Amino acid sequence: MNKEQTLQELKSIIKPYTQNQEALEILTEDTDFINDLKINSANLVDVILDIEEKYNIVIDNESMERMVNVKAALEIIDTKLASKS
Amino acid sequence: MIGNDVVDLALAKKESNWQRKGFLDKIFTQKEQLLITSAINPETMVWNLWSRKEAAYKIYNRETGLRGYFPLQIACNYDDENSGSITINERTYFTKTSVSSARIHTIALTNKEAFSRIKKLNRSDAIVKTNGIPFVVCSNSTAVKPVSISHHGQFWEGITLMD
Repeated sequence: MNKEQTLQELKSIIKPYTQNQEALEILTEDTDFINDLKINSANLVDVILDIEEKYNIVIDNESMERMVNVKAALEIIDTKLASKS
Repeated sequence: MIGNDVVDLALAKKESNWQRKGFLDKIFTQKEQLLITSAINPETMVWNLWSRKEAAYKIYNRETGLRGYFPLQIACNYDDENSGSITINERTYFTKTSVSSARIHTIALTNKEAFSRIKKLNRSDAIVKTNGIPFVVCSNSTAVKPVSISHHGQFWEGITLMD
């Protein structure tokens, strides 16, 4: 997985749901979906579904539980993609 | 401890497509999905159950310090449209929900008897935050009391417990 590319792809997935475009601009691994990006928690499901669709992976509940920030999202995408190949 | 969550139904309709493939499966157990599909108004049931999970999670998060996204582990025990309880990992929270065509508001408590002591706050009340958790300063003492606040769209609901 090319981390930088995935990060950009993650940014486009998040864009429609974030109430804080500034935080999206300066996104880092530690950026928190709910606290920093102000994504409402119902829309976090949409982010997860979008990620599943884009990468053709399944994010199980255990992984979803940890998906609170960018770092976790990148790790989960990486792990799920790796287990496919 | 107290928690609450308000849903502006018109805004929720714009923000979320609950009928999207996979959406319900990520959030609601089979039992909860049955409540939704058999409801006279499934959309209202979706947000009713959702607001209960959110309100209870607020308490759980404050009690345990644990953060995470695990709506399926937040199980609704539905008595009726206005009441029930929530179980999260062996902890139980009692909920009361008020439903109107525009808004749903759930209050969650650890102690069932305390519903009679709930006081609604105004946005103008003096609310302070410590570590992200809000407290209200009493006017007749220097004591701070725990508070739960929820804001969605045009609705703001703040609650505290009277002694």
